[in-house]
This record gives sequence, C-alpha cells and structure tokens, in this order.
Amino acid sequence: MGKQAATKVLAGAEGTGSIREVDSFPQAPMLELVDSPKREKILAGMLEEVGSSGYDSTSVRTVLARTGLYRQAFYDNFSDKDDCYRVAFAAGVARLEALAAAAAASQETWRPKLRAGLGAVLDFLDAEPDVGRALFVEVHAAGPEALARRAEAMKKAADFIDLARLEASEGDSPPRIAPEGIVAGIHAVIHSRLSTGAEEGFRALLPEFMYFAVLPYFGADAASAEMQAARA
Amino acid sequence: MAPPSAPNPQPQGLPRAYAVRSERERVLEAMVRVAAAKGYEATTVADVVEYADVSLAAFEEMFESKEACFLEAYDAVFDVLVAHVTAAFEAAAEEPWPEQIAAGLGALVDLLSQEADIARMAMVEVTAAGDDARSRYRAALARFTPFLEQGRTYSGQGEALPADTARFAVGGATSMIFDEVRAGRGPELKRILPDLVFAVLMPYLGPEAAEDEMRRVTRES
Repeated sequence: MGKQAATKVLAGAEGTGSIREVDSFPQAPMLELVDSPKREKILAGMLEEVGSSGYDSTSVRTVLARTGLYRQAFYDNFSDKDDCYRVAFAAGVARLEALAAAAAASQETWRPKLRAGLGAVLDFLDAEPDVGRALFVEVHAAGPEALARRAEAMKKAADFIDLARLEASEGDSPPRIAPEGIVAGIHAVIHSRLSTGAEEGFRALLPEFMYFAVLPYFGADAASAEMQAARA
Repeated sequence: MAPPSAPNPQPQGLPRAYAVRSERERVLEAMVRVAAAKGYEATTVADVVEYADVSLAAFEEMFESKEACFLEAYDAVFDVLVAHVTAAFEAAAEEPWPEQIAAGLGALVDLLSQEADIARMAMVEVTAAGDDARSRYRAALARFTPFLEQGRTYSGQGEALPADTARFAVGGATSMIFDEVRAGRGPELKRILPDLVFAVLMPYLGPEAAEDEMRRVTRES
C-alpha cells in the first residue's frame, strides 16, 4: 500500500481514466472530469493521512509532507483542509462503490454477485486500511454532507441485498426483513475492526458476512452452506 | 436549604465534599443537556458552566477539558442505561431467552424515548466526539454482549454461529436507533421495538423464530 496504491484507488473516481467504468455503474453520481494528477495525489494523501493520524491531527502541512507537493498546489485546488477532505471522502466512497459494482457485474446471480461485491470491498480494506479508516471511521469529521453520502451508499447496498427476495422461493421470504439492518450490522463489524487499528484480515470476514446476508432470506441451512462455501 | 436546582446552592452544615459532589453532578447533567441540544462540536465549556451554574474555576478544578467532562458524563449515562436493561433482562429470567431479549430492548426503548437528551447523547453525539468517545461507545455497547451471547446456547448452535454475531446484531439495532433519534423521532422510539427485536434475534435464531417473537411483541405493545 502507500501513496501509489491510494492514488490508483482514487484515479477511478476523479481522473479521466475512470469515466467509462463509472458509466457502467448507473447509480454512481456524476463525477467532475478533472485532469489533475496533483489534485488526485492530494486527495489520496488526505485520505491516508486522516486514516493514519485521525482527522484532528491532520493538517494541510502533514498532507503536503505526505505527497511531496508545495502549498500552492493545495490551495490551487482546495480552499482548506475541510474542503479537501469533503471532496476526498466523496471520491473515495464513489470509488469503493464502483469497485463493488464492477466485481458484482462479473457474476450472474444474487449470491455470487454479493460474494464478489463484498469481497472487493474487503480486499480494498486489506490493501488500504488507512483509506478505509478515513472513509468508515472519520466520516463525522467530513460533516453532515458526508453522513448523508454514507447513508446513500448504505441504502444502495441494502437495495442490492434485498434483491434476494427475487430468488427466495415464494412465501419463503419473511416480509419484515430490513436489509438496512443487515448492512448496518456488517458495517458495524468493519467499523469496529478499523477503529481498533486492524491492518489486515478483512477478507477473512467474508464467510460470516455471507452468513448474515443469506440467513434472513434463505434460512439457517442455506446460510451455513454459504458460509462453508465462502471459506473454501 | 436551597433546592438543588437553585443557583449556587450552598447546603448549610453539609461537609464540603457534598457540595463538590453535587457541583460535579450538575456539571455532568449540564453536559448531557447542552450536548444534546447543540451537538457536541458546538458545545463550549462556557455553555456547560452557565447551564450548571458553577464557576469556570470550579469546572477546571474538576475536569481537564470539555472532552474529559463529556466522557465522564457519557459513562454515567451509559451506567444508567445498562442498569435499566440488565434489570429488565433479569426480571424476565424465568422466560425463554427471546422474551428476555425483548424485555431488555423494551426497557432500553422506554428509557430512551422518555429521556430524549440521554438518547441523543448516548447514541448520536458520542459518535462525533472523537476517538476516545468512540472507543467508550464501543466498550459501552459491548456491555450488552453477555445477554446476547446466551443466544448461542439457546439456539443450540454454539460456536457454529459466526464469531461476530453479537457485534452484527448490536450494529443493526443501534443503527436503527441512531437513525430515529437523529431524525428527531426519539420520543416515538417504541414504535420500532418489534423491528429491533427482529434485528437482534434474527442472527441467532434465523428469520422464522425471530419473526414469531416480533409478532408476540407487536401483539403485546
């Protein structure tokens, strides 16, 4: 991990190279087309710095130290630390959504789609735990806009999970399942790991996440089988 | 003797330690009220001092910072919540585990819906109050884990259930409470009790048994 990997992560969300990929993800927000490697570098540096030092300890100076850029490059693109973090947060969330959607798109049915999409998020966290912390844990520092963006991302995930209803045999699917609760539960497990400083081991959570998602729609036997399958 | 809510109460003839303790309690309560009303970020020591009607010097003697005061107030508030839920859970000790959980959740929802400030502080503002507050929040929620983990035995699944089952269940339920309280619907929190019961029981028991208990709770409420 490090600067290079994080830059790559963000490149898709803000850079020119991403447009085709983002277009193939219809729910993704329209993104500004900004061809500025410095801007991307600063955004990546901001997420890494916030994730590793915490938002309060992050300053424009520490972000610049991480990126090796001059002050002017920062203020050409952002008015202050808050502004930069808001943009970086939105770009990071969009990128994570695009990663999950692209992985899911390679599969045909609900379960493999979910496995692939969740797996992509967890692989991302293993590769970039600091960026993960900036996106999952430090979200409150980015203000109400970021909280709303997070809620939107979680709603999309919940809507996807609820597509299980289409595959659950009729009468099998209890009417009161709140897919938002499944997403919130999975989010809580990830959040807890990230905020206690975990740097790896996220991928290993996939089997139990699959268990929690499959259980309400298909019952305990199917969920256990899915957990075994995801462990393999 | 002045009532405790009057300005600058100086109980005659009581030891100094009593006055100190009561000032501390007033400050802690002031922190809960002010943080709930204004949000943690916007809360200042000056607000708290004014609300509690104590001097700034007295505040500084007791607390190192706004954050230290918030954390102590938070611990006090959560002690009340845990005691309340524990009492309800234990009062239902003769009942099967799902009913005990429903009783504990019912007590939680009752208290939070009556005490809007406590609900906002304990479930919402704490997540905005920095790293230490968030780790207290995690530790506080973990105090409910022993009640939940009895579900492993009750369900007969034991260690076959995922390791993070309690965290998943608590995460789902607290997120629902967070959304309601944040949207200003804290006083009507009882309405979501059946959904909370389902969210907590489902990971342990599966959808059918969780829904049975949810129906029972809906009938009784």
